[in-house]
Amino acid sequence: MTAPQQAFAAQPDSFGLMLGRYAGLLALSALPLVLLWSNPYWVNILAYTYLFAALAAAWNIIGGFGGQFSLGHGVFFAIGAYAVARLYLDLGLTPWLAIFPAAALATVVALLVSWPTFRLRGPFFAIATMAINEACFALANYSDRVTGGPRGILIPFRAAFANMIFIERWKYALLMFAFMSIVVLITVALRRGRLGHYLLAVRADEDAARAAGIDVLKVKLQGMALSALLTGIGGGLFAMYVRVLDPPSLFSLPDIGVKFALISLIGGIGTIIGPVIGALLIVPLENFLRGALGGDIPGGHLIILGAVLVVASLFLKRGVVGAVLVITRRIRQRGRR
Amino acid sequence: MTERFLAVERVTRRFAGLVAVDGVSFSMDRGDILSLIGPNGAGKTTLFNLITGQLKPSEGTIVFRNERIDQFPPYARAQRGMGRTFQIAKPLTGMTTRENVMVGAFMRHRAHADAFAHASAVLAEVGLTARAEVPAAELTLSERRRLEVARALALEPDLILLDEVMAGLNATEVTQVIELIHRLNARGMTFLVIEHNLKVVRAFSRRVIVLHHGAKIAEGSAADVLSDPQVVTAYLGKKHLAGHA
Amino acid sequence: MEPFLNILISGILLGGIYSLVSIGLNLIFGVVRIVNFAQGELVMLAMYATFFCFAKFGIGPYYAVFLVAPLMFVVGLAVQRLVLQPLQNEPMMQIFATFGLLILFENSVLAITRGEGYSLTGSYSSVVIDVFGLKASMTRVIVFIAASAIALGLMLFLSRTMAGKAIRAVIQDRQSARLMGINVERTYLLTFGLGSALAGVAGALLAPIYTLSPYIGGNFILPAFAVVVLGGLGSVPGAYLGGLAVGLMEGFAGYYVDPVLKQAIWFIIFVVVLVVRPSGLMGQAGAEEVGLREQT
Repeated sequence: MTAPQQAFAAQPDSFGLMLGRYAGLLALSALPLVLLWSNPYWVNILAYTYLFAALAAAWNIIGGFGGQFSLGHGVFFAIGAYAVARLYLDLGLTPWLAIFPAAALATVVALLVSWPTFRLRGPFFAIATMAINEACFALANYSDRVTGGPRGILIPFRAAFANMIFIERWKYALLMFAFMSIVVLITVALRRGRLGHYLLAVRADEDAARAAGIDVLKVKLQGMALSALLTGIGGGLFAMYVRVLDPPSLFSLPDIGVKFALISLIGGIGTIIGPVIGALLIVPLENFLRGALGGDIPGGHLIILGAVLVVASLFLKRGVVGAVLVITRRIRQRGRR
Repeated sequence: MTERFLAVERVTRRFAGLVAVDGVSFSMDRGDILSLIGPNGAGKTTLFNLITGQLKPSEGTIVFRNERIDQFPPYARAQRGMGRTFQIAKPLTGMTTRENVMVGAFMRHRAHADAFAHASAVLAEVGLTARAEVPAAELTLSERRRLEVARALALEPDLILLDEVMAGLNATEVTQVIELIHRLNARGMTFLVIEHNLKVVRAFSRRVIVLHHGAKIAEGSAADVLSDPQVVTAYLGKKHLAGHA
Repeated sequence: MEPFLNILISGILLGGIYSLVSIGLNLIFGVVRIVNFAQGELVMLAMYATFFCFAKFGIGPYYAVFLVAPLMFVVGLAVQRLVLQPLQNEPMMQIFATFGLLILFENSVLAITRGEGYSLTGSYSSVVIDVFGLKASMTRVIVFIAASAIALGLMLFLSRTMAGKAIRAVIQDRQSARLMGINVERTYLLTFGLGSALAGVAGALLAPIYTLSPYIGGNFILPAFAVVVLGGLGSVPGAYLGGLAVGLMEGFAGYYVDPVLKQAIWFIIFVVVLVVRPSGLMGQAGAEEVGLREQT
């Protein structure tokens, strides 16, 4: 039995230190942008990379920490995109402000559909969210007035800071980087706090969580709300970057809904920096594959993506971050001997 | 007016034709240590589940600290001062030992620093300080048991239910747990314990209740209950009755 | 009255299609407790294999089914053994893995066929028969009859044979079945193989009805899940009747409500069934364990 004094010697890592550490890692991930800012091809890839890192990190809040595998995040993404586009085009509202009501709408929808579906465990929750994605895809095709139907919405190019439309591509990449950093730092705070611990408990064992005083449904809804809100903002930013929004692009599961989950998986589900690492690996790789194979082999890059998913789920469950942690632990243990 | 600390009144639970708990009634005062014993399948864990909320009773009421709680969900009962451990220890994987305890601590300590401090104190209480930063999935069986208890203690409960917390522990470990129970009881914590080890039951229980086929068949001091012929029959069968002193 | 009867018939025939596709999935769910997102792709693969038999060897689909079904049985065994067995206790990884298979199969076929749309329908779709005075496509009636026959055959298999009883035991209680000496892993293999073979039958019989596309699997997966939820895990009559019910619902919704919105039907079915009756129409005990709904 250890002496009681030792217990009180333990102090938590200061929050500032934690933030500092992750800020450092984020700064590292900015390096490619700093080096390649004048190269439009790479800057475009980096913009997508940072955006999807942010979206994967947002998904990770409910999917990774909370253990609720959502295939429906494309819906929140699309709501954010369409809402910002409509507010900008119809009301002339600057996207910098429009992202907030758009995100709020995505959050409300998320809460409405999650409330019944969170009664389902694991795989059945995933199926229900997939059904939501398909239903919303049909709705988007149907509502010509709101979403422009199957042909979608085109946002004309009118460069101005207030329009969130830039001539220089590196500004977009910088914007996405800033968004990614905000999402990651929010995740740091979340993980450290009460909601983060509660989400992890719910993922690990719902019965034990309940016995520990946790209102499981409320915690899931809170996690989903935060996740959907951030995803909606990401959708809004996406809208102003690509300026072409149509249902097949926004609701495609391999390109959007599953992509968020895949990036988190590769980087490390339930870790903080995992989504960033996953995006840095997957987005450029996919771009490269699409270029190398896309012409000769239709769907070639997706074949590889599918194979990666299968192999990763079998052999790389904890992602890159998990693998690194395992290796460093082994090194440390050998060092002790 | 004295507080009705725990009053279980004619509680029954049926599962499609099977009566798992049959009209059980008993009560507890603050500071009691009550043991619940009975052969396998007697309904002990089901009774626990009814008290802590994993199940709702088909009939009967449960009052805790003057409040009728039998329709409340488990988290509401935990918030009102009930903690429990599970028969199969459920460490929360993906978190360290300390974080596991913090999950409990966050119920009454919303800030990270407070929850951290409280969890650290609880870890010291159960002797897991040295293992605080270890992933909970890597703990040994005895450590997992202690983690179960720690997480329940972190809730600062008035009543704590222990489900076979001694199972699989060696003699030293059992003594440590008994010491822990006495220490906490001296500070006012009330215990309801399911236990198979009758020596242990004699060692710390003030009162014992025996369940058999879901019904309460005996209640009293350990000595009285364990020499009750009905109890002996239930555990050992009628053959042994004649030879029992 | 006539449009109503027409929709009724077409809804039932559509239901026959869904039953055929879903019976295999339901069995897999009930036994292996795995969510197989790639089930629709197995049907798709079978459709292309059937077309291949027709185009290359001139073998009609109603004969090719006897080649395609065993082929899919083997594919199913491979998937279960190599991908799903290692992931038995990890539901989230199962979703990733089977979704990965979905994307892999879909795009492999796309790459091989280079996006060309194949069709068997020309030779078969013209045959129309009379059903209670209304016209119905022969190919669909065949599917309906096959679905009914298979459902019946499967129920007999499950109740009369040792292997079938082993399967039912595992559906009810995996642990107890193991304790009674049933080789659970072998049962899983058999079941997944059987479920895949059934997908093979479905693919072969559906090839004359649909124009082939690598994405056609996606059209079946959501209705198949809806059928499983509605009919109840592991219940063959449940899958059969559930399929008919879903087909009817889709038929009526498509006519009386906007056809585009019928896609929303799946989600509505899920939510309503899971709130009202989580174990489905005829679910076996143990459905809650898989997590259709939380218990109180």
